[in-house]
Amino acid sequence: MLSEVTVLFRRLCTWAMIGALALIPILIAVVVRVSSDGSASGRGPAFLNSITENGLFVSLTALTVAIPLFLPLTIGVVAGDTIAGEANLGTLRYLLVAPAGRIRLLLVKYAGAALFCFVATLTVVITGAIIGALLFPVGPVTLLSGDTVGVGGYFGRLLLLALYVTVSLMGLSAIGLFISTLTTIPVGAMAATAALAAVAQILGALPQLEWLHPWLFTNYWLGFADFLRQPIVWSSFIDNAVLQAGYIAVFGTLAYGRFSTKDILS
Amino acid sequence: MSGGTLAIETLGLTKVFGKQKAVNGVDLAVPRGSVFGFLGPNGSGKTTTIRMLLGLAAASSGEIRLLDGAMPKDARSVLPRVGALVEGPAIYPFLSGRANLQRFDAADRHTSPATRNARVDAALERVGLSHAAKKRAHAYSLGMKQRLGIANALLAPRDLLILDEPTNGLDPQGTREVRSLIRSLSDDGTTIFVSSHLLAEVEQMCDRIAVMSAGQLVAQGTLDELRSAGTARVRVATPDFADAHRVLSGLGLTPEPHGRDDVITAELSVPGLLPETVNAALVRADVRVRGFEASGASLEDRFVALTGEGFDVAG
Amino acid sequence: MNKNWRWLPAGIVPVVIVAAAVSGSAVADAQPQLPAKTAQELLEFVATSSDDAYSGTVEQSSDLGLPDIGMATPPGGTSSSDPTSMALELLTGDHTAQVYVDGPDKARVQVLDQLAQRDVVVNDTDAWYYDSQSNEATHAVLPDKDAAKAELEAKLQQKAAEYPELQNVPRTPAELTQTFLARIDPSTEVAVDGTSRVAGRSAYQLLLTPEDPATLIGSIAVSVDAETGVPLSVTVQAKGQDDPAFTAGFSAVDFSTPDAGIFDFTPPAGATVTEAPTADEARATLEAEGTPAEAPEKPTVIGEDWSTIVELPATSAGQLGLNLGDGEAAGMGEIMEIKPGMDPEEVAGAQALLQQALTEVDGGKALQTSLVSVLVTDDGRILAGAVGVDVLVAAAQQ
Repeated sequence: MLSEVTVLFRRLCTWAMIGALALIPILIAVVVRVSSDGSASGRGPAFLNSITENGLFVSLTALTVAIPLFLPLTIGVVAGDTIAGEANLGTLRYLLVAPAGRIRLLLVKYAGAALFCFVATLTVVITGAIIGALLFPVGPVTLLSGDTVGVGGYFGRLLLLALYVTVSLMGLSAIGLFISTLTTIPVGAMAATAALAAVAQILGALPQLEWLHPWLFTNYWLGFADFLRQPIVWSSFIDNAVLQAGYIAVFGTLAYGRFSTKDILS
Repeated sequence: MSGGTLAIETLGLTKVFGKQKAVNGVDLAVPRGSVFGFLGPNGSGKTTTIRMLLGLAAASSGEIRLLDGAMPKDARSVLPRVGALVEGPAIYPFLSGRANLQRFDAADRHTSPATRNARVDAALERVGLSHAAKKRAHAYSLGMKQRLGIANALLAPRDLLILDEPTNGLDPQGTREVRSLIRSLSDDGTTIFVSSHLLAEVEQMCDRIAVMSAGQLVAQGTLDELRSAGTARVRVATPDFADAHRVLSGLGLTPEPHGRDDVITAELSVPGLLPETVNAALVRADVRVRGFEASGASLEDRFVALTGEGFDVAG
Repeated sequence: MNKNWRWLPAGIVPVVIVAAAVSGSAVADAQPQLPAKTAQELLEFVATSSDDAYSGTVEQSSDLGLPDIGMATPPGGTSSSDPTSMALELLTGDHTAQVYVDGPDKARVQVLDQLAQRDVVVNDTDAWYYDSQSNEATHAVLPDKDAAKAELEAKLQQKAAEYPELQNVPRTPAELTQTFLARIDPSTEVAVDGTSRVAGRSAYQLLLTPEDPATLIGSIAVSVDAETGVPLSVTVQAKGQDDPAFTAGFSAVDFSTPDAGIFDFTPPAGATVTEAPTADEARATLEAEGTPAEAPEKPTVIGEDWSTIVELPATSAGQLGLNLGDGEAAGMGEIMEIKPGMDPEEVAGAQALLQQALTEVDGGKALQTSLVSVLVTDDGRILAGAVGVDVLVAAAQQ
């Protein structure tokens, strides 16, 4: 496991993606700072207007922007690379001959992808908080319910929020892992995973397919706002966790079925 | 070294890809302690066989016993005792050579992390890569990568080494080093299974040989057994063609014309009949011998005969 | 052969998940066994529940057979704080709300929008409305309830002395329900329609069926918690429609007293706070201004009970800014407030949708939903009711 983490985080590619994610809050904060004339209004993601009043909202705005596109993209890259990447390098056969054990390898790879989800989310949140604190005033935070929490309580909630987003991405990671066992071309697996995330979100936006929505792994992606309510609404966290667990179970077993019977010919 | 006398044993090992039988009913028997050459032209099913031995690919039918364990069922207990180089080395280009080995070593649950660094360094030392250990592997030459692959097989004390084309990409110096490495490992009691398409290489390293052709095992045994299985020939260049023919026939041989009317050849098909005896008989009968050649049973002839094609030296 | 069993989990897991989902809803559908209650007993039971404390999640959805106007509104709901359009938005869309209730005097309703929230807080002394999207709060000071109650009591005593027949005014829940039943009886069939499970609790099902053939409402079903008498869900069925036209109900409910802090509200720094006038102030303003010179024409009510039609006089269409001449923005003002900040494309899209929904009828244009019809006549009157368009047209011609 440790070895998997070292390999993952010694790659330039991994750091490039984390850097790109860190850039999101920085860009948002700088743009708002530069263009702010005190009356930022109109269209834009939620919380954007609040940034000038409280720099801590940069994290939230950045997350809102990152969740539909950038996070799934990076998770697609990491999850799609898990098995296909090793197969492509040929290192997969040496890991199996070592022997790593196929189930163990799958679990470790999945854990690595999960860890990346958390690090990626945390990157957005923490960079957002830092850059926000640098460029804008910081103070007690107004929640969606109109209640106010102190900076400490807010960070507690941010941590929960990062956890929520991580859990949200677990299903996608499992899908990526499965797709990754199907091919030896990592780019294909990455693209397919990221594309699925986009497709699921498009389906989720079509009111005609409402019956399908509760089954989409993207259904609760923006539900993280429930941690900004007073009292915290846990139902979406639980619903989300159950849904993601379902995806993990289905695609985890599919990945197991595929990978444990697969002939490693690369 | 416990248990049976065979390190590798397969029974009717078969692998079918679609309709094509890549490996067809192979019965291998590799005795413990031997240096076993697995010969065959490219595409004859050597690597597929090795993949099945190591549990990378599932056999369509047949049985495999590796170090007395059934594969792939007992892979967990068997594979830690097996070092392997399969179809060339594979590396993480963004890691150093050393980190590459540490990664592969960590993949095996049974290895001790405490001794990992020492074992990695020892393996690097053994293949002569110590100086480049900290270099990123993408900067390695083909030969260096090959050495790294061999080092990976040597990370832990092994009972069996399966080396697929171990000298690929190595210069003559490197080839010699690998050869002596294999010899010294064999002296330590390790069974070594070397696959190659190069006859000369196998002939120099191995005491036992198996030959694959088109998915089938066409011969298996010690070098001497294989050599003696072939028959020597005599080739006589003489202006007295008819006399020579008579003498050879008189010795019980079946002379064959060689397309020219002054050369005659014959297999030494009579047991105990030596080429020098044939020559003496010819001279005694006043046959003027311009040239006499006794071609020994070269393995090469033998393999050409077995596989139906020449060995592709260029790889 | 022995290779294929590894695919087994991948085959079993989806089956288990589907089975769990199906059996989960099967459990929810199972009808619990409860002691029988008459409709009157059940209504009395409901009336006693007003002191209960509980909290829960309410899911509301409606299917009025209209094009989805919500699609044309900005993401996260309307940013409008105009009460009419908001009420309409709340009624027509699908919503989730957190509800906290502690007796009749304390309540908090949180409408959970995506990345936004609207709160209504009522406690002993204050009422607050807060919209996180616009960061606007409205505050009202509530009259002192005890004083008001005492005053009412005193007035009643006084009146009772003057008019002895007022002694008959129903005061207990039992009396109240009796009066209620008596009043709705001729037009409505009230029955207890078995039991059901709502939010994991056993409930009685109260079914109100209008006997008026003109109305569009097929039936109204109310689920009443068997333990506490708190209504747990309401389902309105339109005639000739399979799916309910409107449902609102708890998806989760907890009958423990909510944390008292939930009912306290302090507007966040930076929020725009509007003070609503108290009843006394409002009266004072009215008196100061004197009677308006021209009292606006009052809406007329045609018909009764379920097929009641409300008719707004001709001037109202003008006041609402409806211009039937170009026909484009007809009815827009009611359904959607067009704000300067809104994307013109979105507005145009919504107008087009509305235009689709409006149909040309004899003497005007009509909007027909599965529960309600609206008719805007050519002379500018607006008629609305839970009846078919033909009934409205007939009423308009009288």
